[in-house]
Amino acid sequence: MRRSQETFFAVAVAVAVISHLAAAPAFAHAAEQGFVLLLPTTAYITAGTLAVAATMLLLLVLKPGQIDRVFRPYDAAFKARWTWSLDVVPLIASVCLGFLILIGFAGPSDPQENLLPLTLWTVWWMAFFVVQGLVFNVWQWINPWAGLHRLIQPDAAGVYQIHKDPSVWPAVVVFLGFQGFVLADAAPNDPDRLAAFALGYSVFTFLGMSLFGRDFWLRHVECFTVMFNLIGSMRVARSGITVNIGLPGWQVFETTRPSLSHAVFVLVILASGSFDGLHETFWWLDQLGVNPLEYPGRSAMIWKTSVGLYAAIGLLTAIFAGAVFIGVLAVNRSKNRLPVSFAEAFVRFSITLLPIAIGYHFAHYFVTFMVQIQFVIINLSDPLAAGWNLLGLNSTRVKVGFLAVPETVKVVWIIQAGVVVVSHILSVLLCHRTAELLCNNKRDIVKLQLGLSFLMVAYTIFGLWLLASPRGV
Amino acid sequence: MINKINRRTALLGLGAGTGALAAAGVLPRSMGFAQAQSSAPIKIGFQKHATGIGAAYGRWYGATTDAAVKRINDNGGINGRPVEIVTEDDGTDPSRGAEALEKFANQHDCDVAFGTLFSHVVIGSAPRAGELKIPYFVVSEGHHVASGGLNRYTLQPGITDVKSQVISMAPFVANNLGKKVTMIYPDFAFGHDHRDFFTQAIEAQGGEVVAKIAIPPTETTFTRYFPNIPRETEVIYHVMVGPAVLTFVKELGEFFGPSRPEIFGFIDSLEAVDINSSGLEFLEGTYFWEGMPRHAQADQTEYDKAYRAAVGVNERGASIDDPANVSTFAHMFGCWETLNIIKAGMESADYQGPQDRTKLIEAVEAVTDMPESEDHPQGDKLFNGKTHQTFGKQYISKVSEGRLVLEHTASIEDGLYEDEVDYTTQSF
Repeated sequence: MRRSQETFFAVAVAVAVISHLAAAPAFAHAAEQGFVLLLPTTAYITAGTLAVAATMLLLLVLKPGQIDRVFRPYDAAFKARWTWSLDVVPLIASVCLGFLILIGFAGPSDPQENLLPLTLWTVWWMAFFVVQGLVFNVWQWINPWAGLHRLIQPDAAGVYQIHKDPSVWPAVVVFLGFQGFVLADAAPNDPDRLAAFALGYSVFTFLGMSLFGRDFWLRHVECFTVMFNLIGSMRVARSGITVNIGLPGWQVFETTRPSLSHAVFVLVILASGSFDGLHETFWWLDQLGVNPLEYPGRSAMIWKTSVGLYAAIGLLTAIFAGAVFIGVLAVNRSKNRLPVSFAEAFVRFSITLLPIAIGYHFAHYFVTFMVQIQFVIINLSDPLAAGWNLLGLNSTRVKVGFLAVPETVKVVWIIQAGVVVVSHILSVLLCHRTAELLCNNKRDIVKLQLGLSFLMVAYTIFGLWLLASPRGV
Repeated sequence: MINKINRRTALLGLGAGTGALAAAGVLPRSMGFAQAQSSAPIKIGFQKHATGIGAAYGRWYGATTDAAVKRINDNGGINGRPVEIVTEDDGTDPSRGAEALEKFANQHDCDVAFGTLFSHVVIGSAPRAGELKIPYFVVSEGHHVASGGLNRYTLQPGITDVKSQVISMAPFVANNLGKKVTMIYPDFAFGHDHRDFFTQAIEAQGGEVVAKIAIPPTETTFTRYFPNIPRETEVIYHVMVGPAVLTFVKELGEFFGPSRPEIFGFIDSLEAVDINSSGLEFLEGTYFWEGMPRHAQADQTEYDKAYRAAVGVNERGASIDDPANVSTFAHMFGCWETLNIIKAGMESADYQGPQDRTKLIEAVEAVTDMPESEDHPQGDKLFNGKTHQTFGKQYISKVSEGRLVLEHTASIEDGLYEDEVDYTTQSF
């Protein structure tokens, strides 16, 4: 019986995805955004949203506990030992970061020819974010500060001991600043500026680790370690005594309960990613009275973008809290039930948003990544801009023609939209599983998700609408 | 501050080495740089739209600039000195454009600045060029140079301006397509320029604009505007730009069906878009202004052929190694020609260094005729030193079986207008 339900569930997810893809009629038309505007995106958005809603309905037929099996990992029964590489690779990463910062200061001033912005934004921010959140713990290998600090200062203890646990609130604050730099700074791609930022942050991190202890700093303040650990809870595989593999999110239920600061961190990741998409749309620019066809440049938008970013984070937090509150209220109004704590529900449900954050990150950067990674590879042929031609690619030009062919633009868009839909479906499953942890009867499990279900459906529409909207930045 | 490593500097380092060999008599003279008073490179600051809304143009302006500089260096450089391009990204942002000029003047010791396309970046940067007293050669096609709004240090010698382009279209439109014109344009400065310049020009030809349909810049669907096209319309003049252009064409086709008035547009709408794309079938038989014919014509000149080969574009104006990647062919020739004008100006002024910047400007101001050649593959030019603006031939192509076939070449005279400024009266 259990096996048949697992199978049923897998088929349900597959049908939801395929029905989304099949809903795309053969409709081919003329440069990337123009072609996207010609796609029947309204039909796609409807199909994607229905797929998410259908998943919710399918979950209604499950008995409490049955979804647990979906998230139970498979023991691959082999060992993975990386101990040696974990000593060496982070040091290589430190050297690489040092070189990159030097190239940032001394290398070509064109950001498309300088490996610092290309590597940091394209490889690290766009790609490693997704790798960390889906495949394996890349950050433990490439954290450029921890390994070097361990070598220089084997003693992890700092000068000052902080006994009070600040959770990850300091990291939330630092990450808010980072997102401000990414989205609102006038020139985050400028090699000089980015080199100064990377050097400054490295000094800040080193000082912090030395003064307050390496582990303390990495666990509570260093926002990238905190972020990568958080999204890492969605990875399919985990290496323990043996390697365990499961549906993304399975690890959430095997780790300790996150804190309120973790919940807020997740909301910041999701809201920042969504605002990144939103602030490029014609709709947003229209609200600000900015002509997207004559975009005044990032310099003129610093304050507007900053206010928009932090307002978006506040707004999403409030909406999410409201959605959770509706569910908690619905459950707690029932008599003879154990009340569900709003605070606990807020924290636990926030983690279920991570797949959406990772999925949208992928979708949002997919096209940019495919173009920019070519610049990275070409520039690796002459990493120091010394006139070398190590890979024989110096005269190679970046290929962007695939964005001017309607057929490939359609495939690209469907991949982006498909990932967004699948990530929402995954969040719905995690949400249901989390509700089961908080309630013990079917009626309450459904009631607890009332508000969140609306939020998930609305966010699916929003995410797909962002992909389909004309952009002016 | 460590000196900037520049990929092109490194490549030029090889060139300089070759020059030394040539000077020593090891290589034929034509292959190396002549001995000059200074062997230091001439530094040209390239204000590039590497990021921001102009990035697609920036890539092609970059490719054309590289090709032009390679040719100049292969032919001995300028005054026997190699040319080095120093690139700064302006982010298609006026504030950063001004910062880029400061870096060129104060950090990189550039001799001149060059390359900007987007009007608002030119307008944001030009005052700084005047303050820094660095010659600023723009490739923008905006009327802001010739209108008198800028300064003596800002010149546009390699590309014609929109006013000239628009008014030179009127004789052909009135005589061949019709005299009753409905204009459909985006409702901001770019569209307003077209509206104002063309309305005057068509009236001078005995025609009239029977309707002016301004479309809000954020509009993405257009069907509701089409009923405003008067029945008497003989020609539709359209200059829509932005991602919704393809939707505009499709909906216009659906609105008119097989019986439509004549249609004339500016290729700016479909710059970098393959005219043969599915969905653009409605454009068959319609006309486009082109700054330079994108598709090689039956009577293609040797200059056009050499220019395409150097930049790496094929007979359809697309990248040779990525044929789906259509270039910004109607505009990027401006980079090629401007660099050749900088070279000619520097040689005429016997330019030695920044102390000769004013001599360079005066030398360029003295330029008048620039005949079609390898230096000027787009066609003959006539430079007006007073207005700092060049004038040239304009091309009208007809879409025929998925090709842009040249139908008419407007003469330089068709695009001339009265001077609105005399920059030569301004002191340096």
